[in-house]
Amino acid sequence: MDRIIVGMSGGVDSAVAASILIDKGFEVEALFMKNWEEDSEFCTSENDYNDALQVCDKLNIKIHSVNFAKEYWDRVFKYFLDEYKNGRTPNPDILCNTEIKFKEFLNYAFDLGANKIATGHYVRSTLKNNQFVLQKGYDEAKDQSYFLYGLNQSQISNSIFPLGNLVKKVVRKKAEQLGFYNHNKRDSVGICFIGKRNLKEFLKHYLPANPGKIITTHGKFIGEHDGLMFYTIGQRKGLGIGGGHTKSMKPWYVVDKDLTNNELIVGQGHDNHALYHKFVKCSNLHWISGKAPEENKLKAKIRYRSKDIACKIIDSDKEKILLEFKQACFGLTPGQSVVIYEQDICLGGAIIESYSN
Amino acid sequence: MYYFDHSATTPIKSEVLDLITQINKSTYGNASSIYTLGRKAKTIIENARCEVAHSISAKPEQIIFTSGGTEANNQVLWSFLKKSNSHIISNLIEHPAINEVLKYLSTIGLSYSLANVKSDGIISIDSIIKNVKPKTALICLMMANNEIGTIQPLKEIIEIAKERKIMIHTDAVQCMGKTELNVSNLGIDFLSLSAHKFYGPKGIGALYVREPKTINSLILGGGQEKGLRSGTENVALIAGMGLACKMAYNSLAENKKLLKRLETYFKTQLKTIIPNAVFNGNQLNKIPGLVNVSFIGNKSDLILAKLDRENIAVSNGSACGSGNIKTSPVLTALGLKDEVNLSSIRFSFGTSNTKDQIDFLLKQLKLILNKNG
Repeated sequence: MDRIIVGMSGGVDSAVAASILIDKGFEVEALFMKNWEEDSEFCTSENDYNDALQVCDKLNIKIHSVNFAKEYWDRVFKYFLDEYKNGRTPNPDILCNTEIKFKEFLNYAFDLGANKIATGHYVRSTLKNNQFVLQKGYDEAKDQSYFLYGLNQSQISNSIFPLGNLVKKVVRKKAEQLGFYNHNKRDSVGICFIGKRNLKEFLKHYLPANPGKIITTHGKFIGEHDGLMFYTIGQRKGLGIGGGHTKSMKPWYVVDKDLTNNELIVGQGHDNHALYHKFVKCSNLHWISGKAPEENKLKAKIRYRSKDIACKIIDSDKEKILLEFKQACFGLTPGQSVVIYEQDICLGGAIIESYSN
Repeated sequence: MYYFDHSATTPIKSEVLDLITQINKSTYGNASSIYTLGRKAKTIIENARCEVAHSISAKPEQIIFTSGGTEANNQVLWSFLKKSNSHIISNLIEHPAINEVLKYLSTIGLSYSLANVKSDGIISIDSIIKNVKPKTALICLMMANNEIGTIQPLKEIIEIAKERKIMIHTDAVQCMGKTELNVSNLGIDFLSLSAHKFYGPKGIGALYVREPKTINSLILGGGQEKGLRSGTENVALIAGMGLACKMAYNSLAENKKLLKRLETYFKTQLKTIIPNAVFNGNQLNKIPGLVNVSFIGNKSDLILAKLDRENIAVSNGSACGSGNIKTSPVLTALGLKDEVNLSSIRFSFGTSNTKDQIDFLLKQLKLILNKNG
């Protein structure tokens, strides 16, 4: 029987994933991965490990651990800071999957003698016409294909996603039935290494803040910003310029960043035209199958948990892609990923560079 | 189970376990109580104190029971906060139960220096002398290192310390049952012991203090241990430690011979199957039964995980709370490069190990290392 090494995070999902594989008769072991050196009380790695330890004891499987803090720093965190430095809003969790979980972790698991790895992601993988296909999780609300669009054929072929056909409620129930102490542990949200702390405070720690002017789309000066990196396109809260409290005055939104002049451009109202765009130009294009789709009736997510928006490919080469949305799209954010789907199959994606109408 | 990690901890001897259980059942009295059950508890403690003292050639009144080696070390170091001289010399391969304490105490009044170690894992006497300052009050020097087993030149350092009126502490937790411990011959001021390192229970240790008035209590309260360690005594564990000391003392010669035999067999056989295995630290001047080996070109955590699959327990580096492996500061101090450091494994044999068990270990190592190429 195959030996499967499960990425065990100390959370409910990976715990249940492991138990499902045991039930299927695989030889299962767990591997706990540490990607961040503790720097404050916000880091919960040791608590997570203790949870993982208890789960593995209940399941009577071995648990190993490995530290990828250096690899994570070099290949994910540096990129994360660079993107913020450039005024963009990166998604490090996507890179963590392609560079760490499905590369370093995978290789380490092979070194440990695994035949495959498994994770608690809510996605499905199937083999169709000799191609591995990444399908959304059955639980649409939990679907994590957005984070995995950067995987290639070899990575998917070496991975198992036991939770792909389950809904979260069932997973929690199973965890409770199995007697896992962590069955009620809340879902992790946001960027893993930031955890519960404030993003702004976190960034200040690593990057010098460069305050400047807040200018309206009409060129009027209306306030000061703390540094462009602290804002993201489409952001409403936390601008410190009031508005939105009376009917006559619509709330302000970040519509653009002028890096040359260090100015934050804002516009009023969620329906402000400056926030909507029909075309998006992206780089770092990746197709899971290795090539562009023949079908051009596509959908895209422009951030995790955004609705799928109908779109088509206008132009594309190996590296770049230009997409046109059926309807103008709110809050396209440079640095975030556009992930492309055909029905519920995740085809790939790319990183937003610019947008236009 | 193939257990080769006796420097981490040892399995408790069944005689010791039986005694602990029996005392917990029958002599549950508080040793401070004056009725029969209390007096009985008190007597058990004092008998154990005599056994511990005897095993290191000390007087019973020089023994303070603590929760373990770490507390014993802490008690010594914290006591120096109140002294007028406040500089302490430790070294690069001392246990964190010394060096982490010093790091903290240096933020609240003490100062300290870390002496160097030679590439064979023996402390540089010159470096200790160089670090002596007018305010130096204490030198800490472990008797034997916990990762590589090297025995330190304690006698020489004690002479140097005495000449300069500096006190000296030794962490001897690795030594009971493996080398002679004689505090009066040594003339040491403080010595720490931990019962679970010599087949006794966890959670109990002792501090030898030559002059008990030179030390303060770390834990205040009811004034137990003549005011030097408050808290209701754990009678059963204290008795267990007493018995473990007695057994270690009585079987010292026999244990040494056994451990040395196992070590030599392992090293010789290992060299034939893995010729490029490197033994770390001075191999002539160390406690028996502890072997630290670098398997250059391999990763120790992978080897460990694969041995674990075969129910073989060995250790590497300093594993932290979340099970992750970091480079060993001890091996770094010896000058090992990170890559070699992370290929190193500590094998520490014990009295229950046999030649057959070591054969199994060698067989598995051969399989794993040959597969790793």
